[in-house]
Amino acid sequence: MIEYVRVYKSFGDLRVLEDVSCTIPDSRITVFIGPSGVGKSVLMKMLVGLEKPDSGSVRVGGEDITGMDERSLYRLRRKMGMLFQDGALLDSMTAGENVAFPMRQHTSMTEGEIARAVAQKLALVGMPGCEGKWPSELSGGMRKRVGLARAIALDPEIVLFDEPTSGLDPLMANAIDELILDMQRKLRCTFVVISHDIPGTFKIADRVGVLYDTRLIAYGEKGEIYRSREPLLVKFFSRDTGYTRA
Amino acid sequence: MSTDNRHNPLAEALAQVGRWGIFSGRVVRWVFGAPPIVANVLEEVYRIGVQSVFIVCAIAVFIGSTIAIQGYYVFREFGGQNLVGIFVALACVREMGPIVAGSMVAAKAGTAMAASIATMRVKGQIDALEVMAVNPYRYLIAPRAIAALIALPLLVVFADFFTVAAAYSVSVYQLGVSSGTFMENVIRYTGMSDILFGMVKGLAFALLICLLSCYQGYHSQPGPEGVGRATNRAVVSVCIVCIIVNYLLSELMYG
Repeated sequence: MIEYVRVYKSFGDLRVLEDVSCTIPDSRITVFIGPSGVGKSVLMKMLVGLEKPDSGSVRVGGEDITGMDERSLYRLRRKMGMLFQDGALLDSMTAGENVAFPMRQHTSMTEGEIARAVAQKLALVGMPGCEGKWPSELSGGMRKRVGLARAIALDPEIVLFDEPTSGLDPLMANAIDELILDMQRKLRCTFVVISHDIPGTFKIADRVGVLYDTRLIAYGEKGEIYRSREPLLVKFFSRDTGYTRA
Repeated sequence: MSTDNRHNPLAEALAQVGRWGIFSGRVVRWVFGAPPIVANVLEEVYRIGVQSVFIVCAIAVFIGSTIAIQGYYVFREFGGQNLVGIFVALACVREMGPIVAGSMVAAKAGTAMAASIATMRVKGQIDALEVMAVNPYRYLIAPRAIAALIALPLLVVFADFFTVAAAYSVSVYQLGVSSGTFMENVIRYTGMSDILFGMVKGLAFALLICLLSCYQGYHSQPGPEGVGRATNRAVVSVCIVCIIVNYLLSELMYG
């Protein structure tokens, strides 16, 4: 279980997050949605210890990561995987080497075992046989798929997605959404997604959190958020645009 | 507490020095306090050392030739042109060898370090390493520092040899200095200690080039402009600091 407890964060005079509290359940897909610049990425970075809150705490599996030493933080990170916006594949390695990288760093698997595991992970994300491709040879969607294969290389308990459909055309974005759903069904681990893609959010999420103007203005089951008549949420989800068909 | 120092250049400069100090402390900890990642070190030794040999030797030839010409015509003013070997020995081995090696490595490998690490920062690859529980100081920076510490002192020796050899060629074959006199002066006035002091300068330059270049790359601002700015700052800061450190070391060793 993941908990944010009264988290505040500022960068200089710019307040980014204010009094954010929520509990993210295990083995489900939780999506945080909101406009650009509202603190979604910062919220996710706090989960992996890349940012620390100014006050409050972030707890993962009962452990408060905000006060952890480096060794404990790295131990915790081995239980997590993260898909970055553009995949963040290491340019000096092929797709296969990228997926193998966490295995080589943290396991005692033989090269043969690693090769088989890499092939399996790439097949899971719909990229079989691409081990020899360099990141520069892959499209945006392909890089995200390889990035996801790398994120699940160590069979993590928690997988994080930083705007997984950002920069993709609608067809590819839909494919990534389907991939996320498929992965969750197969892996049954906790998925935390940040997004500004509203249709995609309601397609994949079990729980939805809405960030607006530094605050978590709504958090709950997908249906409950979607049916909410709160004016801000209605406006945010554009169901009250004033548009009338001719 | 606000840390915005945009309106106070001195405070911002001091803050930068402090951040660099923290960065350097972390790197040094991984360089000297943990077993190195051998594969990464070897790759960097090739990039920093082997790939710089040609340019260091080439520049050393021209520097040595220039020193010989300048020294000859100055000493000829008072009839001491055959003493040019002394001038060459001291200038090349004590100063120009380390400076040639250091400046070429800074220009070639230092800028590459800054640019590649800045690009990794901008593309989120350093964050990705952190999230994969791989310490970027250990995986990226320390191997570069270790490789520079291995390669640069050896490049100084190459530079010493080629500056003196080029100066010998110009002095003897172009300017008519006696070969025996030239070599006798070089050997008499250059000791093992001069070569070793030059290699110590190489060690200092190696650490500075790596720490300054990698620091700028590691703290790059986003976008292509950020990468360019980081690379530019790396070159400028390395040049300034290495020249100052060279002076301080020369004072310490020979003052």
